[in-house]
Amino acid sequence: MASPTTIVGNIPFFGRMFAVDQSTGLEDINAWPALMIMTSFIWLAVAGLLGVVMPLVQFLDLGPLGPNLYYTALTGHGAALAFPFVFQLMVGVGLHRMGSCRGQSITGPIPALIYIFMNAGSLLLTVAILLGLKISLVVMYPLPVVGVQTGQWSMNVVILGFTGIALVLITMIILYPIQVIKMAFFGKARQELLLSPRSLQDPGMLGMLMAAFVLLIAGIPLLIVASTILGFLYGIVPGALVGWAAKPVVFQFVFFIFAHNLMEAMALMVISAVYATLPLYLADGTRKLYSEPLARIALWILLLTSLTSFFHHFITLFPNLPAALAYHGNIMSFGTGIGSALSIFTILATIWKHGLRPAPGLMAILLGFVLYILDGASAVVTSNVAWSFQLHGTMWQSGHTMTVLVSMALMWMGVLYHHYPVMTGRQIDEQLGNLFVKLCAVGCVGAAVVMLAGGAAGMPRRFADWGQGGWMGYGTLILIFGLILGVAYVVYAVSLYRSREIAGAEFNKLLVDGGWGTVR
Amino acid sequence: MLDFLYLNGWGAMLMVLFLFIPFLIIFVYVVYKKSTGQGSADSASSGLSTVEWVWMALVLVVFVGVNVISISYMPTVQTARAAVDEANIQQVNITAGSWFYDISTPKVINGSNRTVEVGPVRFSGKSSDTMHSFAIYSPDGDVLFTMMLMPGLKGPTSIVYTFDKPGTYTVRCLEYCGINHHNMRDQLIVVAGNN
Repeated sequence: MASPTTIVGNIPFFGRMFAVDQSTGLEDINAWPALMIMTSFIWLAVAGLLGVVMPLVQFLDLGPLGPNLYYTALTGHGAALAFPFVFQLMVGVGLHRMGSCRGQSITGPIPALIYIFMNAGSLLLTVAILLGLKISLVVMYPLPVVGVQTGQWSMNVVILGFTGIALVLITMIILYPIQVIKMAFFGKARQELLLSPRSLQDPGMLGMLMAAFVLLIAGIPLLIVASTILGFLYGIVPGALVGWAAKPVVFQFVFFIFAHNLMEAMALMVISAVYATLPLYLADGTRKLYSEPLARIALWILLLTSLTSFFHHFITLFPNLPAALAYHGNIMSFGTGIGSALSIFTILATIWKHGLRPAPGLMAILLGFVLYILDGASAVVTSNVAWSFQLHGTMWQSGHTMTVLVSMALMWMGVLYHHYPVMTGRQIDEQLGNLFVKLCAVGCVGAAVVMLAGGAAGMPRRFADWGQGGWMGYGTLILIFGLILGVAYVVYAVSLYRSREIAGAEFNKLLVDGGWGTVR
Repeated sequence: MLDFLYLNGWGAMLMVLFLFIPFLIIFVYVVYKKSTGQGSADSASSGLSTVEWVWMALVLVVFVGVNVISISYMPTVQTARAAVDEANIQQVNITAGSWFYDISTPKVINGSNRTVEVGPVRFSGKSSDTMHSFAIYSPDGDVLFTMMLMPGLKGPTSIVYTFDKPGTYTVRCLEYCGINHHNMRDQLIVVAGNN
């Protein structure tokens, strides 16, 4: 396989944005992250186009083709956004952070496997979707099998899609956590890579470690069940041994135990990144959070309460999900809000005490955090048992899912702005960076509020006929704000494309002033 | 006011705005006030510890209050309360499949087997194939409740809902179930009692 730097260099347009500066001697922490981040943005473009298709087909009278296109775009948009875009972006930026903060290289077979499995898996799933598999991003088991029985798609596309999903799951549950654990606990730190030393207790690192263990532990049951089913589909596992795994209740519960904790793990990682990056932009140069113990407590509360809050996905299954467990999920979900409240205080107190340098990267991070709290409010409300019975299955849930993914992506994109000069030897166009933040604010908040309002009005999610209940007005606004968000992402891309080279003394000055804290 | 808050999607929206807008105002104020290219620090941070305690106390009060008050509005609690007078509850059994509902009501009223009387109704639903839901919309278009129907379970999903107004109520599936998911709907007609 060609080196990641070579691959990036050969990709038109996107390659220019993420070309690694080989003169810095930091290729061992830059190359694979650059490739992962670049590829994640390609998937963002795909997800964005599919996102626009969904409302557009609602406006056009396409007959039976309309629902077909809608549900295809729905499945592709959700899958592309959540996994090869947000998760891969997180992995790329996160590993770069880990490498530069622990002096560990990102080389060898594991990063290569992460990249190959995530993207090959996503490609296989995309092909399956284009061949007719319409199962939304949460699989909706046993819909894949029922779809075959009802003639909606073939068993071959189910096998293809499940194979793709398996590769993506292996990346998220096994490969990425192993890479993080390896970098955290094994190997000697290389001084030339150690740009900003941090201990594992540092709030800026702790979330990454927590996330790795959460993914590993919460994901193993799903891997076991999914592997058993896939083994049966490939004829490796006899039918007599697959019955327990094929039960919808088994699959659904192990799926959401992982899927919910995947989102929480990504939140832990990104909040950690915020804790690490914010202090580097304080006006008085102190480079310290208001209180590190408080920041750590927030992460621990978020971790412990999120583990069993997944029950909120099954509140409306009463009494098959007993009311006590439903209420437990309710309380734990609000518990994650306690962790967020501590994060809010830590961040605001830090800014209040030390002042702020409003660079575009930091403003993107803070906007992402604001959106994360908006999403948090919508999430705790819908996880309340009383409200869940009215909101579950409506556009409220889609608004919540979209907002949490967009907010986390926005925080990572802000962190990327901070890391970008070290990876590429170039500085972003700050005017465009500020424009990106402003457009994002309008697009993200607008889309979120409209989707929540649509849900409050009873607009169903994953629904190919918005006109049925008079919901086209909400659909129109979703399209408008979605397009604004799309323009914002284009501006972000251009801000990277038009970045200017910095080298030598200017690069070294950036390492110090830009908060990396080291002189090379 | 509480009925509107907990029994209406817009009440949920109001709660989100209640939680978010004060945060947004304070957050934007702090960031705007403290953003400067030249650097500034506020040495008067001794009061932050008090602010921290007040803030967390406020959050806890709101969170606990919202959840405790919501208990009486939970369909699970309302179902348990209604079950005390089981004899007066009308039973409606539902089997959902792709893409239809098989609904059986206790008696045929006005020639329709989709009709119930004003009062408590126990909806018990199962799925015959994939994930479905059974959601009832009021004549005004508000979601009254939704039930998740998962295939393969021994017992049905079940709640008791008390209708207090006659009218035509729309039934929709809110769990994506395939290419014709959006057309999976039915009707329930609620009539005044003594039929």
